[in-house]
Amino acid sequence: METKYIGEHLLPGQLGHFFAVLSFIASLVATIAYYNAVRAKEAPLEASWKRLARWAFIIEVVSVFTVFGILYYILYNHYFEYKYIWRNSSRTLETKYLLSSFWADQEGSFLLWSMWHCVLGVILIFTSKKWEAPVMTVVSFAQLCLASMLLGIYILGYRVGSNPFLLLRQAEENIGLPWTTSPDYLSMIRDGNGLNPLLQNYWMVIHPPVTFLGFASMVVPFAFAFAGLWTRQYKEWIKPGLPWALFAAMILGIGVMMGAAWAYEALTFGGYWAWDPVENGSLVPWLTLIAGIHTLLAFKHTGQALKSTFFFFLISFVLILYATFLTRSGVLGDTSVHSFTDLGMSGQLLVYMAVFTIPGFTLLILRRKEIPDVKKEESTYSREFWLFVGALVLLIAAIQITFTTSIPVWNKLFGLNMAPPLEPEFHYNKIQIWVAIVVGLLTAIVQFLKYKDTPRKQVTQKLLWPTVAALIITVLIGWLGRINFDTYGAGFLVAIYIMLFASVYAVIGNTAYIFSGLKGNMKSAGASVAHIGFGLILLGALISSSKKQVISMDRMNMLGTGFFGKESKENPRENLMLPRNFPVQMGDYHVTYAGDSTAAGDPKTYYVVRYEKKDPASGAVLEKFTLYPDAFVNTKGEEGLTPNPSSKHYLTRDIFTYVTAVPIKDNGSDTAKYSQHEVQEGDSIFFSNGYMIFTGLQPQPENGNYKPAPGDLAVGAQLQVYTKNDEQYKLQPVYYIRDSTYQYSVPDTLFPQSLYVRFSKIMPKENKIALEVKEAGAFSDYIVLKALVFPYINVLWGGVLVMIVGFVMSIYRRLKRN
Amino acid sequence: MKKTNIVLLVVIAVAIGVIVTVAGDFSTYETFATAKEKEGKEYHIIGVLDKAKELTYDPVKDANYFSFYMKDKTGETRKVIFYGTKPTDFEKAEQLVLTGKIEGNEFHCNKILMKCPSKYKDDQVAMSTKQM
Repeated sequence: METKYIGEHLLPGQLGHFFAVLSFIASLVATIAYYNAVRAKEAPLEASWKRLARWAFIIEVVSVFTVFGILYYILYNHYFEYKYIWRNSSRTLETKYLLSSFWADQEGSFLLWSMWHCVLGVILIFTSKKWEAPVMTVVSFAQLCLASMLLGIYILGYRVGSNPFLLLRQAEENIGLPWTTSPDYLSMIRDGNGLNPLLQNYWMVIHPPVTFLGFASMVVPFAFAFAGLWTRQYKEWIKPGLPWALFAAMILGIGVMMGAAWAYEALTFGGYWAWDPVENGSLVPWLTLIAGIHTLLAFKHTGQALKSTFFFFLISFVLILYATFLTRSGVLGDTSVHSFTDLGMSGQLLVYMAVFTIPGFTLLILRRKEIPDVKKEESTYSREFWLFVGALVLLIAAIQITFTTSIPVWNKLFGLNMAPPLEPEFHYNKIQIWVAIVVGLLTAIVQFLKYKDTPRKQVTQKLLWPTVAALIITVLIGWLGRINFDTYGAGFLVAIYIMLFASVYAVIGNTAYIFSGLKGNMKSAGASVAHIGFGLILLGALISSSKKQVISMDRMNMLGTGFFGKESKENPRENLMLPRNFPVQMGDYHVTYAGDSTAAGDPKTYYVVRYEKKDPASGAVLEKFTLYPDAFVNTKGEEGLTPNPSSKHYLTRDIFTYVTAVPIKDNGSDTAKYSQHEVQEGDSIFFSNGYMIFTGLQPQPENGNYKPAPGDLAVGAQLQVYTKNDEQYKLQPVYYIRDSTYQYSVPDTLFPQSLYVRFSKIMPKENKIALEVKEAGAFSDYIVLKALVFPYINVLWGGVLVMIVGFVMSIYRRLKRN
Repeated sequence: MKKTNIVLLVVIAVAIGVIVTVAGDFSTYETFATAKEKEGKEYHIIGVLDKAKELTYDPVKDANYFSFYMKDKTGETRKVIFYGTKPTDFEKAEQLVLTGKIEGNEFHCNKILMKCPSKYKDDQVAMSTKQM
């Protein structure tokens, strides 16, 4: 018997699934029609295929956007009968994070990717003229693959795709559970699971769309290269393909750096780059595409290096698919923090990769003889030769990063038991620093070389001043900046100095080239500007990483627990405990934790951390600021916290602070009890850390927490507190009677001693008063935090902006020329 | 031979060299017993938290000292010391991957990777790292 469920909204889901299937069929039709349009010999036939293909593609675009809209609609309305909604959102989630929920999971992010393909596809239909049919064959085919990920249909016993509109009660893990047969089960599901606190961040709202635009735009250069091979127009695709390649490189680059910014601002990687597999996954295709753009330029001017251009353009998109496979198939398992969950689609993801790799490289290999080439030897003084060398160096970087990132894949393939390197950052850095050095030097020099050949004298003449200037600046930075990062030995320090020179050289060389090479002609300076940005990125990454300093060193406990000597270097003890309202020295600062606060509608707890810099001689406060690192505490019954850092940004450095532990705050944990004392004037009360003397009563009490009202009968007990450390404090708990009937008492507290005193009674007959004293066993309110100083990190972010400007200039110029 | 071909050969040689060098960095997954054989060297060890034994983290005393007992794959239990804060949701971890070395009877670790049974059905991986 069919159960009638109460309160379900089935229509949007059915519509959504219908349009998901429609988009699959439409992109299948578009692919076939565009394919036939390319194959058609006669013009009328070609035109009719093309018309069909366009209509099919438009239907597909409409379907994808409709699916997007419906999914957003059910998300917005909290229809928890849908598994995707239940899993990734909750009623308490702020509206701005609904979009984060949207692409927090596999299906939503595939949809986002697919949407960008639609946008790019429409632009291509309008702009690519004779290239439309072959290029759009590839794009439609990519759309077909993405649409298949959202099908959720069983074909021959294998589930193809995962339907985002799956009902919770129909999800595999719930089938057969008793509640699924209860008609009013929805009344029991009041709220969803909520979004992972790590993803509740504004970066999560903007970073995925940009990254997926990067992913989506990578298909276009691939499509142009493939179209060139397929239609045997080996040279002609270059011109329309180049702006697209630049665009893809720019957007993917922004996406990668936004990921870095997110990691820096919101995740507790302790920095902006951790060589995490997911970060690597998008960096590697970017490197190979950059290599491809450079060999393409070499080809454009000299006719050399066309084959390698094809190779780089094809491999870049294949690597995007490989990254998708790595992060979405679950193969990374325990090596990555932020890979997606396994949806059982590894097979399908492998097919997606294969259907692009195999045709692309098969064509390249079969037709390699037809690809035009120049048989002439390049001169060592030619630009194209060094562009080619640079491209290969980038390829080496890509190979190394991919090789290490793929450890879990090797384990699966060959049945090995390898673990990732013990120090992943150093593992990558020690190779990549040499890549950065070579690339930095090439970036500086190669612009000064001309294509084909350059007079020797001209090179030395033009390079002389930039080289001297770069050398001087390097020495100055090294000397004044005191770069002495010796954790990994002198050899690595030497490498750091060489890289310092290489990156400074890249910046200076390209700046000089704008004036001496281009005569200040900014219209064609796009490449130089992008290179300056790249040099600044290298420089910023180098300085901020090698001069990164942890200031929250716990020096007090170093002696106490015996971790001194050899061990102390290995265990830098980077976390510091801050009791509330108790200033602790940290680096140049006195840091005080001044309490926490929460706001309505915001699930986070904010910790108020005050920094004060004092003049050591006079004690005058030189500088004062407050940071509010926050954290999700005890979300969804989980014990513990998910912190977000807070930073003080200066032009030259950042002070980066985040909370690593807080006490569990529940009322039961405060086990200390008040002890009662009856005292006369002059009597003393002892507590663990000293004693206090009751010096007399005060008719007009002074206590910040007591607000006098007319008719109050109020009296304060004056207490003089003496501690073991010869510190003296005054306390004044207040006792009062309001409206002649109600008795109140306002306690007074001494935070540094965790001492609480309450004035509970006046006994006029005995001429005594009753005081209640409580000592918390330990500091009951504290935070443990970690603070780092990142010097000159703005050089890195500034470099990113400059590089983007350079890309935009280049794209604009190429488009104008076309 | 063309110059580009020479460059290509050099690049292939460098690439192979790089891969061989970096492969030397790769670690292996060990057990307490095999790590004990090579005391003082760092390894990855997989195991589960021994919930019967005590777990110490008292930031008031020392914010950078966290100790617990872990049972490795062979069933051997050892005391583990982590110089850092106690990771979020530590007790709920289904599996732990520790990076560190044996010293005496204790395992000193500098990185804990936890596999958590998350609020969802799927696996969620959380990490706690202490930079060296």
